[in-house]
Amino acid sequence: MKCEILYPGAFPMVRVYLDANETVKAESGAMVAASPTIDIESKMEGGFLGALSRKMLSGEKFFFQTLRASRGAGEVLLAPTVPGEIVLLELDGVNEYMVQKDGFLAGAEGVKIESKMQGLTRGLLGGEGFFILKIGGTGQLVLNSFGAIHKIDLKPNEEYIVDNSHLVAWTSTTTYNIDKASSGWIASLTSGEGLVCRFRGPGVVYIQSRNPGSFGSWIRQFIPVSE
Amino acid sequence: MNPIPNALCFGDGLPASGAPCVVAVSVEGLRVSPMGESPVVEHVVAFADMSVEAGGLDHDQLVVSWGEGSSRRTLYLKDPALIAAFRRAAPSQLTAHLERAAEQVRRARRSHRLLWSSAVGVLTGLVLFLWFGSDLIVEWAVARIPIEWEQKLGESVYQDFLSKETILKEGPAVSAVQEMTQRLTEKIPNNPYTFQVSVVQSPVVNAFALPGGYVVVFAGLMNKAESGEEVAGVLSHELNHVLQRHGLERMVKMLGLAAVVGIVLGDQQGVLGLAKQLGMELATLKFGRAQETEADLTGLRLLSDARIAPDGMIRFFERLSEKDDARVELFSTHPMSAARAERLKAELAALPKQTPNPFTFEWKQVQDSLALSGPKQ
Repeated sequence: MKCEILYPGAFPMVRVYLDANETVKAESGAMVAASPTIDIESKMEGGFLGALSRKMLSGEKFFFQTLRASRGAGEVLLAPTVPGEIVLLELDGVNEYMVQKDGFLAGAEGVKIESKMQGLTRGLLGGEGFFILKIGGTGQLVLNSFGAIHKIDLKPNEEYIVDNSHLVAWTSTTTYNIDKASSGWIASLTSGEGLVCRFRGPGVVYIQSRNPGSFGSWIRQFIPVSE
Repeated sequence: MNPIPNALCFGDGLPASGAPCVVAVSVEGLRVSPMGESPVVEHVVAFADMSVEAGGLDHDQLVVSWGEGSSRRTLYLKDPALIAAFRRAAPSQLTAHLERAAEQVRRARRSHRLLWSSAVGVLTGLVLFLWFGSDLIVEWAVARIPIEWEQKLGESVYQDFLSKETILKEGPAVSAVQEMTQRLTEKIPNNPYTFQVSVVQSPVVNAFALPGGYVVVFAGLMNKAESGEEVAGVLSHELNHVLQRHGLERMVKMLGLAAVVGIVLGDQQGVLGLAKQLGMELATLKFGRAQETEADLTGLRLLSDARIAPDGMIRFFERLSEKDDARVELFSTHPMSAARAERLKAELAALPKQTPNPFTFEWKQVQDSLALSGPKQ
C-alpha cells in the first residue's frame, strides 16, 4: 500500500495505491472513487462484539470499509467528512497512537484498531469522551483533522499544554493529565479555556488548528429555528 | 528477514516519536540494536548504569534511562515477555525499585477500579433519584417563581399562537365558553390568575393551557363534544394545569434534566446518546402522565364545586378511549383514556353528591353557530 496526499490544505484527498489482493481499512463513507479492480467490503473490525462496543462506547462507526484490490492492482481515493488536513504516519509495530474518535481516516491491513477506555478524570473532563481509539500494528496510518494539523515533539519529561478539543492523536509513550487552564478555578472558567491537557514527553502530540465544538456552536447561531 | 522492533529509544538527535530498536536481555544488561538507518548505536547497557521506572499512558511500560546530558537515552519497553525477562535477569537492587513501581501501578489500578465502581454507583443513584425524587425538587423550585413571570411567559406564547390562528370574537360558542369559565373560576379559592380563554376556528379536537392562565379551546373539540358539560370537563382539566403550574414544572424539569444529563454524560453519540435521549423522553412522559392525572382529579372536583355535571368529563374520555386501544401507556404523554375514565368514576363516587345546575345555553345552537361561522369540516 502506498499513500499520497492530493490537494494538501483544507480539502485534501488521499490516493491509496493497492497491489493485487492488498487491502486498506477506511472510515465508512470515506471512499470517493476507486479503480474497477477494487471491491468494497464492510468489515466489523475486532469481530461483532468489538464493533458493537466501539459503536456503543466511542460513537465510532460500527463498520469500517475494507477496500480490497481483488481483481488486480488499483487505486482508491479517500476523503474525510470535515475540511482539514490529512497526515500520514508509519507504524512499525512498537509505536502506538491514541486517536480521538473522529481522527481515523484509513490504515493499512496490518494496522490494528481497538477502543480503549480512559481513566475517569480523563474521560469526564478531557472532552474526548470515555473512549478513544488505540491504533497500533504495522503499516501506514492516515489521520484527519479539523483545520490544519500541527505536530508537537516532546523530549523525555518535556511538557506542553493543549486545549483538549484540539487534540487529534498522541503516542502512547506520552502521558497526560487534565489540568485547569489558570491557577484559579474562576480564571480557568472565564478565560474560555476551562480545562486543558498537560502532556509530558517523550513522544509526539498532533493537534488540529480548529475546534469542532466551537465551530458547531458558532454556526448554530445562523441556523433559523424552525418549529 | 528484518528483526521486529520491540522498543522505542528517545534522546537528543533521535526522532521525537522514538527510534524503533531491538532490545534483548543478557546477563550483564540490555543489548540495544538499532533498526534500519537509525542513529542509535548497537551497544550493551549495564544494569549498574541504568535507572528504571514505570511509564507510558497507562503506566504499563518499562522505562529504562542511562547516560547524562545530551547522551542521555530513554528506552520504552512494552512487550510483557521482554519486561518479565528483564525482571528475572536484573540484579535485586534494580528490581526492588521495579517492584515498588509495579506495586504503585497495581495500587493505581485498584483505586482506578474503585473510582469507576463508585462513579457507576453514584450515577445509578442519581438516575434513581431523578426518576423518583426529582418531582419534589421541581415543585420546590417552581413555588419560588413569581406569578408575574409566569404570566409574561405565557402571554408571549399565547399572542404568538393566536396571531397565526383565526379567533372567534363573539357568538354563542364564545359566550358558552365564557359562561363555563366564569362558573369554574368563581369556585377556585384564592385564585391568583386572571384566566383568558379563546376559541380558535380549527378542526383540531384539542384544548390547551399555557402558564399564567391562557387557555385555548379549538372549535373541533366543541364540535366533537355532545354537551356543554363535556367541554366544561376539558376546560376544568386545563384550568387545573394552570393552577397546579404544570407548564412551569415541566419546563423546570426539562431544563434541570438536560443540565444534569449533560453534565454526567456529555455530548455523546452512538447508542449512549440514543439512550440519553430515550431516558429523557421517558422521564418527561412519566411526568406528563402524573400531571394529567392530577389535572383530571382536581378538574373533577372543581366541576363538582361549580355544580356542573361531572359525568360530562368522564363521558368524553370514554369516547376518546374507543380510539386508543393500540397505545402503550409507558410511551405516551397522557394516561390511557379508558384508565382515566375509570379513575375519574372512582373519584366521583367518593365526592359528595351535588345537584348540577344546567348551563343557560342550548348546546345544539352553539354547535350550529360553529358550523356557520367556520369553514365546513
